[in-house]
Amino acid sequence: MKNCARLPLLFSLFLLMPTLLLSACGGGENNVDQGNRDGTLHWGNGTEPQSLDPHIATGVPEHNIITALMEGLVAKDSKTLAPKAGVAEYWTISEDGRVYTFKLRENARWSNGDPHNAHDYVWSWWRALQPALGNLYAYMYFSIDNAKEYYEGTITDFDQVGIKALDDFTLQVTLSNPTPYFLQLLDHYSLYPVHRGTVEKFGTADERGTRWTYEGNHVGNGAFQLSAWKINRRITVQRNPFYWNADHVGLNQIVFYPTENAVSEERMFRAGQLHRTSSVPSDKIPSYLETQNSSLRISPYLGTYFYRINTSVPHLQSKLVRRALALTIDREAITKNILKGGQIPAYAFTPPGTMGYYPESNLRFDPETARQLLAEAGYLNGKDFPTTEILYNTNESHRKIAVAIQQMWKKHLNIDIKLLNQEWKVYLDSESIGNYEISRAAWIGDYVDPNNFLDMFLCNGGNNRTGWCNAEYDYLIGDIAPTVKTHAERLAVFGRAEKLLMDELPVIPIYTYTSISLVNQAVKNYPSNILNKANYSEIYLQAEPQQMPLTEDQY
Amino acid sequence: MTTVEQQGTSLWQDAWIKLSKNYLALFGLVIIGLLCVLSVLTPWIAPYGYEEQNLLLGATSPSSEHWLGTDVFGRDMLTRIMYGGRVSLTVGFIATAVALLIGVLWGAVAGYVGGRLDAMMMRIVDIMYALPFMIFIVLLMVVFGRNILLLFIAIGAVEWLTMARIVRGQVMSLRKQEFVEAAHSLGLSQWTIIRRHIIPNTLGPVIVYTTLTIPSVMLLEAFLSFLGLGIQPPQSSWGLLINYGVETMEEYPWLLIFPGVTLSLTLFALNFLGDGLRDALDPRVSKD
Repeated sequence: MKNCARLPLLFSLFLLMPTLLLSACGGGENNVDQGNRDGTLHWGNGTEPQSLDPHIATGVPEHNIITALMEGLVAKDSKTLAPKAGVAEYWTISEDGRVYTFKLRENARWSNGDPHNAHDYVWSWWRALQPALGNLYAYMYFSIDNAKEYYEGTITDFDQVGIKALDDFTLQVTLSNPTPYFLQLLDHYSLYPVHRGTVEKFGTADERGTRWTYEGNHVGNGAFQLSAWKINRRITVQRNPFYWNADHVGLNQIVFYPTENAVSEERMFRAGQLHRTSSVPSDKIPSYLETQNSSLRISPYLGTYFYRINTSVPHLQSKLVRRALALTIDREAITKNILKGGQIPAYAFTPPGTMGYYPESNLRFDPETARQLLAEAGYLNGKDFPTTEILYNTNESHRKIAVAIQQMWKKHLNIDIKLLNQEWKVYLDSESIGNYEISRAAWIGDYVDPNNFLDMFLCNGGNNRTGWCNAEYDYLIGDIAPTVKTHAERLAVFGRAEKLLMDELPVIPIYTYTSISLVNQAVKNYPSNILNKANYSEIYLQAEPQQMPLTEDQY
Repeated sequence: MTTVEQQGTSLWQDAWIKLSKNYLALFGLVIIGLLCVLSVLTPWIAPYGYEEQNLLLGATSPSSEHWLGTDVFGRDMLTRIMYGGRVSLTVGFIATAVALLIGVLWGAVAGYVGGRLDAMMMRIVDIMYALPFMIFIVLLMVVFGRNILLLFIAIGAVEWLTMARIVRGQVMSLRKQEFVEAAHSLGLSQWTIIRRHIIPNTLGPVIVYTTLTIPSVMLLEAFLSFLGLGIQPPQSSWGLLINYGVETMEEYPWLLIFPGVTLSLTLFALNFLGDGLRDALDPRVSKD
């Protein structure tokens, strides 16, 4: 930095500030070296979680922590994502594919030592289906016989729902239709069990936001237990001695850091404060790629970045307007010139290739047609189009995309757009109560099936949040898709539904994610997969030996 | 006594003479003047539009087309700095003016009237001091909405406290002086005395403090904008440009250096000018 010397004193102090702050918290050995020795994984988690209650949380940062604290009946192989034994030791599936019988481990325990058995699941799933709880993921249960009816109140007797504890360690689940992805669902946090005694100690079963998830109160059944939750600083989980597979857990402790700023996160990584970052600033990706830095990890990610449109806002009710907006986003320019991390422009909602599903699309970048559509909607050359607000959660890359799109819409449609950023929890609230016009959103696959991307837009889907409701769409996804016999037929139904969705455009897909993070070389047994799901119980830390490793021909 | 023909010099003439001998202060004055003229003329002389993007171009270092380079959206930095200056200088001047108006009036009244009213008014100032002022501004912005003019006023509304204290102290020492008593005995109204005698005599410290308020207000605006409460993209200000520049300072140092240098230059100029004015307006310094 030769030109530093010429800068005025004040200014160079300003430049030094972040460096001083960072070095101030170092104090000798850095986190990573120390963590490698005592088995502590330092994990950049992106943001402060909204909640650690598995039946309330909806986001990826929450997911990262909850999966460390809890485990489902079935787990997933961290490489292939194939179902493998979790709390259930084994299971059988009836011939018609509707009845699943799970045999639970007799040595499974809650983190306070309480026995963990089939009744926990019956109670937890009952809780998750209480409408008062406001579980946005309740529809994940709807493949279970009568679960939807119970949730909607047409049945009031929970005994009629297809969830039965045959004995202490046998759980039988009856589905209304054979559901090919049902085992995958069991690994999703919305179907995790919660500890009844703890939940009821701090409130009623269907009360939101009670203190049961707080430091000192939380009881889980996963490989780790919550040991400290310092708001906006860190969440620490440590090895759970009661976990059934505790002997094979490689880590003693995981510390999750809610660093929202990707730039600071990357600096923390370089300063040896983190083993893994939740993202990489897009401007730094090219230099990492150039130097072939082995910490950079880019892999396919089953997720779509999109803009939600609040279809109850008067001027956004028109399909023509939404289409005009969708046609004037130059997705190639965004992925190539702003994101730079190998993301794929998205012209349909479901990521292409999900279980062999390739959605058709009539979206493209076409400002000419868009202007015509906007004129047809009554806004010739953008005249009288109300100033519209794009809401995003505070994050550098969301801001950049919003700034680029703001200008694309201004340039091609001559409409004025304002940007509004909110902190993660506030943003989630605004979005779910519909207090927005257009909002940045992302959907990351919970399980690998197109259904996961399409069933959120059912009229009553908790994650719909657009106010869009289409009877034909509900019929296709809710009634037809679950009942068709072959995989090809299913995909065809999804194709029809998605075409409808892309015709109406309550959401504007922008790009298909790649998961981009920096991972320290000492983190072992952490393969990438398209759900970007970490299996913390398998990860272990092993620092590279200091001397140069032998090259291959020396062996 | 009346035969002396020598013309008396007013306070302002004295000040100007002293200021013009202080080269640093003059330099500051020239820089500020230049920046103000540039800002006013920006819409006509800026080489590009401040929101004109060229994503294909992206961030480029300074070149003959873009003298100060371009940012990650391919927007011309020179243009952005010029437009940013409009916002920063406007915030600086308007918010400071608001602070000046409230602070001087409040302090003058409290100091002049004294007694209970003084105690009450100063306790209000103390209470406001005790409020975390960032939260106070955020609250104001939440209640009144995100409006750029309101932002100026909100910042001004929390920056007047120190001004009020300074003015009060000055006024308290002034009101016991003979010329004020004389004004009293001539039967002038309280308000006229404050306006004609007290306030002009507190000018020195007030002007100095004003030049110090302007830069702090500019930095405050940058912070608020960064939180999403101030001005919004695609508009920008120097503070915001610096904030974004810091994030990419390793890849694209020019995005930090140029707005940084501009802001530092302004701050230095204001400080020099403030120092110069303090010396020039101090009546206790002898006239030679």
